[in-house]
Amino acid sequence: MHNIFIIAKREYLERVRSRSFVIMTFFIPALMLGVTVLPTMLMQRGSNETKHMVVVAVDRETAEMIRSRIEQKQDQQGSADNQPSSKRGLPPTHFSVDVSTNAAPADREALTQKVNQKQLDGFLWATPDAIAARKLDFVTNDTSSFIENGILGQTVSDALRRHALKAKGLQESDIDAALRPVEVEPVSPKGKNAPDPQKMFIATLAMVMVMYMTVLLYGINVMRSILEEKTSRIMEVMLSIATSKEMMAGKILGVGAVGLTQVGIWAAASAAFAGYAVVASGMLKQVKAAMNPMLLIYFVVFFLLGYVLYSTLCAAVGSMVNSEQEAQQMQFLVMMPMILAVIFITNIFTHPNSSIAVFGSLFPFTAPLVMFSRIAMQAGDTPGWQIGLSIALMLATIYGMVWLCGRIYRVGILMYGKKPNLPEIMKWIKYA
Amino acid sequence: MQTIELKNVCKSYDQFVAVNNLSFSIAQGGVFGLLGPNGAGKTSTIRMMIGITVPDSGQINLFGKPFERKSLNKVGYLPEERGLYKKMKIIEQLIFLGELHGMSAGDAREKAIQWAKRLEIDAWLQKKVEELSKGMQQKIQFIAALLHDPDFIIMDEPFFGLDPVNATLLKDVMLDLKKQGKTILFSTHRMDQVEKLCDSICLINKGNAVLQGDLKTIKSGYGKSNVQIEYEGNGDFLEKNPLVGAYNNYGNYVEVRLAPGADAQQLLQMVAARSRVNKFELMEPSLEEIFINTVGKSNA
Repeated sequence: MHNIFIIAKREYLERVRSRSFVIMTFFIPALMLGVTVLPTMLMQRGSNETKHMVVVAVDRETAEMIRSRIEQKQDQQGSADNQPSSKRGLPPTHFSVDVSTNAAPADREALTQKVNQKQLDGFLWATPDAIAARKLDFVTNDTSSFIENGILGQTVSDALRRHALKAKGLQESDIDAALRPVEVEPVSPKGKNAPDPQKMFIATLAMVMVMYMTVLLYGINVMRSILEEKTSRIMEVMLSIATSKEMMAGKILGVGAVGLTQVGIWAAASAAFAGYAVVASGMLKQVKAAMNPMLLIYFVVFFLLGYVLYSTLCAAVGSMVNSEQEAQQMQFLVMMPMILAVIFITNIFTHPNSSIAVFGSLFPFTAPLVMFSRIAMQAGDTPGWQIGLSIALMLATIYGMVWLCGRIYRVGILMYGKKPNLPEIMKWIKYA
Repeated sequence: MQTIELKNVCKSYDQFVAVNNLSFSIAQGGVFGLLGPNGAGKTSTIRMMIGITVPDSGQINLFGKPFERKSLNKVGYLPEERGLYKKMKIIEQLIFLGELHGMSAGDAREKAIQWAKRLEIDAWLQKKVEELSKGMQQKIQFIAALLHDPDFIIMDEPFFGLDPVNATLLKDVMLDLKKQGKTILFSTHRMDQVEKLCDSICLINKGNAVLQGDLKTIKSGYGKSNVQIEYEGNGDFLEKNPLVGAYNNYGNYVEVRLAPGADAQQLLQMVAARSRVNKFELMEPSLEEIFINTVGKSNA
């Protein structure tokens, strides 16, 4: 144990003091800041301009109805303008709307001309034919601002619906009541609120991303560090002092701790930005609902186990290969189980008790993601023994991998230069 | 007490027999030469002595007890494959290795500075390994093997790549360690360097011991059958001469092994007749010659 600690300490200090660690630590949050905050800011700035549009309909009533709905929508958004987000997280666009009842082809021609000359930002062609076909042309130069055009589509549908109901003689308040949206909330027979798959998807996606990134960055670092030891040929000195198992464990712990340190720094530094992004994107409610202290503990447990497990896998690969290029080719294989787990994740969300989900949550290399998803989806209904078994299997695999790659590593030094094939590696493992 | 004792040790990799039924022992305070051509099994033998590999059969005793890892704290090893962490500061590297050998960090630092001064490399302690020349790295490696004051020191090709000044420096250190009663094992194929240091040797070839014992005894066993001749003039007496068993021409002088039963005086007369003789000395064969001879025979 003493040796493991000394080796881990060396690995840790050497890496944390290195220039690349410092650069990465500051660069990644800066990049995240750039990716999350900047576009939001830009979108808000771009939306401050007012667009001028014309609604064309044969009868003034229809045109006015559409105009009032667009302006009302705008007012709703305008009231939330002091906060950085609207309800849907989309930028409020200001339209100043004029109505026109001149719906002759010549008028259309004239308006098109105006749009072309940029005197007008767009016009909506709401003739009875188009309304009957449920397909209105919105002639604009900004055909690609799909978010804006989408909102416009919803607003216009709403307006036409209201117009139709009004034509049947309904009061404004009746129409409002009839059109109020309804929310359906799934409830399990035990009375618990079932978690929303969408929320769980976000939580699991976060887990996948964090794990994938740290494994990619630091698992590969473990691989490199072992490769470095092989090429610098120091391990013969090391092996005369420490066992190969101690060396492996020390390396994995040391390099792993570096990864956790960095993730920790990032988590702290980006919490504010992430919080900002969550608020800005209007997902606050979803994220708040997904935050559950027990789940958070499981997140940390499964993240740590997954991280260590994949680090040992990387260590095993590092002890088998002889060059950086070979190591890179193997990276894909290492990531394979994680990718598989992601492919099956929706299946696991919908059927958390299916045999594939149970298998996936027990199989050590997919367990971190799958078991976590199951726990998240079943809200405490996952059998305790399965959680325990899953964790036990992962721990056993970690121990086995350390032992295994310690062996491969030790024999590997006796015959470097040559690329080993599988039977040879099997033989290495058998060598005492 | 025997510092190390090998009894009928065998080790093979697949079909390849690296070490075959090897037995030898080194008494405390002894300087031992493990000799042999490249690929003879020297490094394989050493690796078993320090527990990197385990013998297929046979017994290894270290400090009078069957091998156990705990004993390695009293062993210093300079491997043939030199290696240090390239990006690490020298002093930190030495402290790290010292700590692994059970020293405290402070103690390791103190000893490292002492050794560095002695090997005239203390000005480099704050540098990284990659900034050092090969020879300097070698000295650092040397310090790493001796830092924890081991009782048994194993040196695999210790003088390889060193200039004569540094080789002498290291040789003096070794002699000093011998005086302190440390047991030293040299593994090398460079006989000339070892000859001056070793008390006893084991010569191995293809995993087998072909010659072993006390160095003086071995050499005297060959008798004074060699002649060193320095001459000016015609050297054709070396060819097709029934008196000459074999010879090595070193340019400035030749070393001749007399044919069995040949009289050295006869050879002297013959050489004197055709060239000017500056030196004519009867001597024991050099270790190198014994080596070439023995290995040649065992290969035949």
